[in-house]
Amino acid sequence: MSILGSPRKGMNASRYVKVALVLAFLIAAPWIWQENRFITTIFISALMFGIWGVMYDLQIGYGGLINFGFAGFICAGAYGSALAAHHYEINPWLCMLIGAVASGVLGFLTGVVTLRLRGIFVGLATWFLAEVLRLTISNTPVYTRGMLGLTVKPLPDVLGLNFSRAELLPYYYLLLILVIIIFAIAALMVSSRIGLSFKAIREDQLATETLGLSATKYKLINFTTACFFTGLIGAYYAHYIGILTPDTTEFGVPRTVEVLTVAYVGGRGTLWGSILAGFILIGFQEYFRQLGAWRLVMYGTLLIAVMIYAPKGLSSFKKYIW
Amino acid sequence: MELSIFIQLIVLGLVRGSMYALMGVGLSLIFGIMAIVNFAHGELFMIGCYIMYFVASMLGLPFPLGILAAGIGLLIVGIILEKGLISTLRKKAGREWLMDSFVLTIGLMVIFQNLALIIFGSIQRGIPNLVAGQYVIGDVVFIYDHLVILGLALLTVGVLWYFIKNTSLGKAIRATSQHAEAAQTLGIDVSWMYAVAFGIGAALAGISGALLITLFPANPNAGMAPVLKSFVVVILGGLGNIKGAIAAGILVGLLEAYAVFFLAGGWQNVIVFSIVIAVLVFKPSGLFAPAGERP
Repeated sequence: MSILGSPRKGMNASRYVKVALVLAFLIAAPWIWQENRFITTIFISALMFGIWGVMYDLQIGYGGLINFGFAGFICAGAYGSALAAHHYEINPWLCMLIGAVASGVLGFLTGVVTLRLRGIFVGLATWFLAEVLRLTISNTPVYTRGMLGLTVKPLPDVLGLNFSRAELLPYYYLLLILVIIIFAIAALMVSSRIGLSFKAIREDQLATETLGLSATKYKLINFTTACFFTGLIGAYYAHYIGILTPDTTEFGVPRTVEVLTVAYVGGRGTLWGSILAGFILIGFQEYFRQLGAWRLVMYGTLLIAVMIYAPKGLSSFKKYIW
Repeated sequence: MELSIFIQLIVLGLVRGSMYALMGVGLSLIFGIMAIVNFAHGELFMIGCYIMYFVASMLGLPFPLGILAAGIGLLIVGIILEKGLISTLRKKAGREWLMDSFVLTIGLMVIFQNLALIIFGSIQRGIPNLVAGQYVIGDVVFIYDHLVILGLALLTVGVLWYFIKNTSLGKAIRATSQHAEAAQTLGIDVSWMYAVAFGIGAALAGISGALLITLFPANPNAGMAPVLKSFVVVILGGLGNIKGAIAAGILVGLLEAYAVFFLAGGWQNVIVFSIVIAVLVFKPSGLFAPAGERP
């Protein structure tokens, strides 16, 4: 049995309990630290990076697709949504969907032209594509306000909930709902036939194609889905943060490296590892704010250590803890 | 366009191009021999800038010593990195080597950038010029610094070329890149060859950094712009194709010199990057690869 790999574990009772405990903690968190707004902002960052990490993991860990232009898809979602709200007076809730579609379409088109290339070339092509997008935004200040910064409207109130940015809780719970939905879709996807195809293609593309599966089709499904949800969270980010500038720390290589670190440290091919790593890395970053640049030195060291000594990242410690 | 401007732009283009070629050759060499996409190449460049600054400005020694120190220093750094980290990863990595080694160098990039920030702060440490003055023929200005950069870059590439083609160590490195196992059976110390190759690639980045200190003052982020350019050059020339990197370096240098003159600032990178994407999609083996060759 071990040679063939164990059959997919079903959702047995203990798994339900674990998932329920995690969810209960995430729902209760803002109330546990009720007097401390700061904790809620950290939870929002951690969830955002966590779910971006999950999308990165879907691409690299399941599809074997190197997306080194990840920040470009966040950018497409964020600017797609913000510009729609800014220029065309569209309801920001609908704009978030527009942002997600913009990123998804960009992902689809990128996939169509690059996914037949060998792995590292996909990485390089997406990297330059993201840079082209970022530089185009910064070169067209008349439409995007470029480096001056584009102010983004907050989400309008809905169901009596106040989404002015003075209130963090609605933004936190909105994000939590989005994260749960996206994670559930990703988890269903990787455990379905589609997910099995991803794995087969990643392990041996040629053999899989001789079985009649179109590798490009499945890679395209993977890439487009990941980009769509990356863009959705990017759009959320735009309305949550309130101002966008196309600089490198925001939408360039450093942002991609952050998300990549979350996915690698969490453990490729696990999905949940990225959420855990999001909390640990962002929490670590905020807790050790006074360490300044040493923080990033530790990040780099951690990434290298994971590459050399623990390719499965934090997920390899699961059996000891939980 | 006036002839003098035309010639002036050719000179500027060649100077830029020779530097891009030097950076690109290092990156391409590392890829060609070890199959590593070295994202920390810009940080090796940055270390070269700092070495140059300390030798030429703080110690006040003549600048050729600074360039030499940067070359030797980075050769050692490169060998240590290869022996200490990369070779450890090579023993464990299998099919995922390309991506895994790439991510490893991303980690190195983050570490080097931030260590430089911690040690040196974010101050820019430049040198105004290597050789002061300029030479004027008609309306064309030859800045001595530019001539020094051009000359030394060409010299370095020439020496490297001779080394790779004609020395026994160079031949051993090429043999390793062509077929590591066969090379090993012939008695070549393959793991040492990898270390030397990475060291040489690093040394080329360091020499570029030292030479360009007048244009890119030493600071923790000094490597960011050059690394992007090196990747442009290496992709256009074909990953691993050293001749291609030299040709593409000079091509990009010339293109940029004219683009700066004719295009509004900011758009030239968009155009260059779009060309890069087109090359990746339509001819991933590079512009100068023989027809039909797949990377």
